[in-house]
Amino acid sequence: MDKLTIQKELLKMFGPDRLLSDELDLMYYSYDSSFLTKLESTSPYAVVFPKSTEDVQQILRFAWANHVNVIPRGAGTGETGGCVAVEGGIVLDLSQWNQIVDIDQKNMQVVVRPGVIHAELNNELAKYNLFFPPDPGSSLMCTIGGMVANNASGLRAVKYGTTEQYVLGLEVVVPNGDVMITGGMKSRAIKNVSGLNLTKLMVGSEGVLGVITKIRLRCFPKPRARGIALAVFDNLDDAPATVLDVYQAGILPSGIEILDGSAIKAVNEFKPHIQLPDAEAILLFEVDGNPPSVEFEGNVIREMAGKRARSVEWSTDPQRMAKLWEGRSVTAAAASRVRPDGSRIFAGEDISVPLSRVADVLRAIRELGRKYGIQVVNYGHIGDGNVHTAPVINPENPEEVEKVLQLVDEIHLLAIEMEGTTTGEHGVGAVRRRYAPLEHGLAHEYMLKTKQAFDPKGIMNPGKLI
Amino acid sequence: MEFKELPPVKEQLMKCVRCGKCRSVCPVFSEIGNETVAPRGHVFMVQMLRDGIVAPEQKVYDHLTNCLMCETCSVNCPSGIDIHELNAAARSYIYEHNPNLAKDLIFDTMWTNPAYLKNVVRMIWGAQASGAQSLGRKLGLTKLLPGDMPKAEKILTDIPWRSARSQLPAVSPAIGKKKFTVGYFLGCATDLLNPEVAKATVAVLTRNGCEVVIPPGTKCCGLPQIANGKMSTAQRLAIDNIEAFQKYDFDYIITDCASCSSALAVKNMELLLGTTEYREQARAFSAKVMDLTYFLIHVLDIHPPANDKAPRVRVTYHDPCHLANAQGIKDEPRELLRRIPGVELVEMKDANRCCGGSGTFSLTHYDLSMQILDKKMENIGATGADLVATCCPSCMMQLRHGVSRQGLHARLVHPVQLLSQAYEDQD
Ligand SMILES: Cc1cc2nc3c(=O)[nH]c(=O)nc-3n(C[C@H](O)[C@H](O)[C@H](O)COP(=O)(O)OP(=O)(O)OC[C@H]3O[C@@H](n4cnc5c(N)ncnc54)[C@H](O)[C@@H]3O)c2cc1C
Repeated sequence: MDKLTIQKELLKMFGPDRLLSDELDLMYYSYDSSFLTKLESTSPYAVVFPKSTEDVQQILRFAWANHVNVIPRGAGTGETGGCVAVEGGIVLDLSQWNQIVDIDQKNMQVVVRPGVIHAELNNELAKYNLFFPPDPGSSLMCTIGGMVANNASGLRAVKYGTTEQYVLGLEVVVPNGDVMITGGMKSRAIKNVSGLNLTKLMVGSEGVLGVITKIRLRCFPKPRARGIALAVFDNLDDAPATVLDVYQAGILPSGIEILDGSAIKAVNEFKPHIQLPDAEAILLFEVDGNPPSVEFEGNVIREMAGKRARSVEWSTDPQRMAKLWEGRSVTAAAASRVRPDGSRIFAGEDISVPLSRVADVLRAIRELGRKYGIQVVNYGHIGDGNVHTAPVINPENPEEVEKVLQLVDEIHLLAIEMEGTTTGEHGVGAVRRRYAPLEHGLAHEYMLKTKQAFDPKGIMNPGKLI
Repeated sequence: MEFKELPPVKEQLMKCVRCGKCRSVCPVFSEIGNETVAPRGHVFMVQMLRDGIVAPEQKVYDHLTNCLMCETCSVNCPSGIDIHELNAAARSYIYEHNPNLAKDLIFDTMWTNPAYLKNVVRMIWGAQASGAQSLGRKLGLTKLLPGDMPKAEKILTDIPWRSARSQLPAVSPAIGKKKFTVGYFLGCATDLLNPEVAKATVAVLTRNGCEVVIPPGTKCCGLPQIANGKMSTAQRLAIDNIEAFQKYDFDYIITDCASCSSALAVKNMELLLGTTEYREQARAFSAKVMDLTYFLIHVLDIHPPANDKAPRVRVTYHDPCHLANAQGIKDEPRELLRRIPGVELVEMKDANRCCGGSGTFSLTHYDLSMQILDKKMENIGATGADLVATCCPSCMMQLRHGVSRQGLHARLVHPVQLLSQAYEDQD
C-alpha cells in the first residue's frame, strides 16, 4: 500500500488531530537520541497518537491486512534508533497515553499506560512511600513503555536489578491486532511460575513482537536513609579490586560508579568548582536502607576502600552527598564540553563486561582512542560492569565520523571478546543488530523463530534487535 | 548577518545529541506533547534549514514559532546549547525570504519608535474609553485583525492615557547625597502600559541617592523584533540604544523590565553585535546594564524603613523567564519583597514556569497561551495571595488577563511599586 493511501486511511480512522502526515511534521519523527539517526534520518509514513488499546488494535489490524510496518515509540530517548521507521511505516507515538491506571498500595503494585514518564511515576508513588527502582539517566523524559521495551535500568541496577524484575504482567497488542495479557489474565500475584514466561520475553523485545499497552509493575518501599562514599585511586586496577572487596565483605551497595582519568578531567574542565581529585579513577558508592544499616555499610566500605585508595570520604549529610555525587551527575554533559568544537556522541556507549575485565576494557578503550586519534571519556556503572564510553568528535566532520564508526565497531567487538556484551542497558535497535549472530550464535536463530511465531508478516518494528 | 555564520548556528548546532531533556521542561511541549514542538525538534529543524534540506518557507517558520522563547530549555540543556538563540536566528533567516509588509510596518516602524507606538496605544485607549472596543467586538470588526489578534485583543486591558515619559522629567535629581548617576532604560511597555511602575522606579532610585536620567532617543530593546524574525531590526535598535546612552557617563544603566534587561545584557548583545564593528561598544554598554531589583539589593542594599502599622499583604512572586532564565535573577526580587514592611511572601508552585505571555506569543498563539496561563493561574490561586508581584510588563499583562479570566481578586504589581509605597507611607 502506498504512503498516500495509508495516510488517507489513517485519517479516516483517527481524524486530523491524532495524526501527522505532513512531510515537515514527519521529519521530526526521524530521530531519537542515537548518533545513527543524526547521520541518516528516515521519516515515517505517518504518526498516530493512540489513546486506547482499541486504537492500537485498529492500527495493527489495518497494518496487518495491508503489510505496513508499525513502529512503537515512547519519548524517543533511545540510543539505538529503535523507535525510528528505518524501513518505513507508521509510528505510534505512545507518549501522550500516560495514565496511571491504578496504584494498588495494598499489594505494592501499580498499573500504568505506556506513556507515563518514569520520574512522574516515582513522584506519584512517593506519596504512598513506594518507588519503582530502575532509574535510567533519562528518568525525566523516558516512558515506562520504552523502559519495558528496552529493559532499561540505571545506576542502582547493582542492587535493584533491571526493569524486568518489576514487570509482573503486560497487556500487549500483537501484530495481527489480538490483545494478549501476560502474567495471568486475572493475576495480581507477585510470585508466578505458571506457563511460559511471556512477560520476560516481551520485556526487552524493543517493539519487534507487539505493542505494550498496559503494564503492571511491582513497587518497593522507599528506603529511609542514604549514604555516599567517594574513593580516589592512583592505580586503575585498584578500583575493580575494591568493588570486589566490598562485595566480599557482604555489602551490596545500591550504586557503584566509576569515573576514569578522562572523565575526571572532563568534569573538572566543565565545572572547576567541583574539584575532583586528579587520579586514575574515582569510585562512588551509594548505600541505602535504614539509618543504622547505612551507617554500618558505610563503615565497611570505608574500611575496604581504605586498603587501596589514596583517600576515602563518607557522608550521610544531604548537602555533602549532593556535592560528592555532582561529579557523576554532570559527567555525561561534561564529556561534550571537553572540546569546544566537538560533541560527545552516543555510539558504542553501553558495553558491559564482567567485573574482572573492567580495568582491562578501560585500558583497551583508551588505547583505541589513541589509535584513532579520538578523545574518549569513560564512566559507568562499574558495580555491574556497564561502561559508558563517550567519544568526543566534531560530528559534522566526515573524516572524524568515519574514524569514530570504526572505533565504535572495535569497542563492540572488544566487549564480546572480553566475555561481555555490546549493550548493558540501552539496547540493540538498529545500531547493534549486526552483532546479534556473533553474540548469540544458535540462540539468534531461535530468536528469529520466536519473532516469526508472533509476526510472520514481519511488520513489527523491522530492522531492529535481531 | 549570515545565518550559517551566526555563532550559535556555527558552533552549537552540532552539539545537540537529542537527549530530549528539553521535552521534560518545555511549557509548550507539556501542552501539545508531540515532537514537532519539542525544543530538540526545533534544533533539528534549524539544522535542516542550515543544511538546505528544508527551504526557508513560512511553514517552517510557523513550526519554529511554537515556542515561547522562555529559555527554559536553554538553561536546562546538558550540552549547553542556547536553543532560543538558534530558534531566533532561524526565524530571521526564514523571514528574510518571506517578508511581510504588515509585519515590517509593525516591527520596523511602529514598534521601534516610542512616538509612533504611543499613537497606536492611544488609538486603542480611545477605542476602549469610548466603548468602541466592545462595539467593535459586537459588530465583529475586531475579527478583521490578523491571526489570533481578534481573540487576543482582550489581553490589552485598561491602557492608561498618559505615558510615563510624559509624566517624568528627563533628569530627576538624587534626594540627599548623590551616590550614582543612573541611566534609566524606560522600556516601551512600562512607558505606555505601566507608567506607575516607571514612576515608582524613579522615586525609589532618587530617594536612595541616584540621579536618574531618561535619555532621549532610546528605542525599543529589540526583543519583540528578535522573536518575530526581525533580527536585523533588533541589531539596528541595539546600535541606536548604545548611541543614545553613550552620550552620558552613567555609572549604571537600570531597567525595571525583565525583557529589556535581558535584551540589553551581554549575552543577547553578543548575539546581535558580537561579530560586528560595534562589538566593543556593545560590551561596554552591556557591562553597565543591570536589572533594577539586582541593583537595589547588591549595589544600593536598600532597607525601607520599618513600619509596624504597615497593613499585612500576602504577596506571591512570579519569575519572568527573561529574568530567571535569561539572567539567573531569582533571589533578588524576593529578597526585596521580604524587606518591605507588611509583606508576607508566599511561594506559588512552579513560580519559575512561563505564564504563556512571552511578549507577542499571547497575541499570535492565543489559545495555547491561555492553556499555559491557566496552569499558572491555578498555582497563583492556590496561594490565596492578595498581590501577584513580577518584574516584567508582558507577564503583568498576561497575568492580569488570567486574574480576570478566573475571576480572582489578586492585583498585579512590580515589587518596586510596593517599595515606593512603603517609602510614601513613612512620609
Ligand atoms: C541522556 C540519556 C540517558 C540515558 N540513560 C539510560 C540509563 O541509565 N539506562 C537505560 O537503560 N537507558 C538509558 N537511556 C536510554 C533510553 O532512555 C531508555 O532506553 C528508555 O527506556 C527509552 O524510553 P523511551 O520512552 O524514550 O523509548 P523510545 O526511545 O521511544 O523507544 C525505545 C524502544 O522501545 C520501543 N517501544 C517504546 N514504547 C513501546 C511500547 N509501548 N511497546 C512496544 N515497544 C515500545 C521502541 O520501538 C524502541 O525500540 C538514556 C538515554 C538518554 C538520552
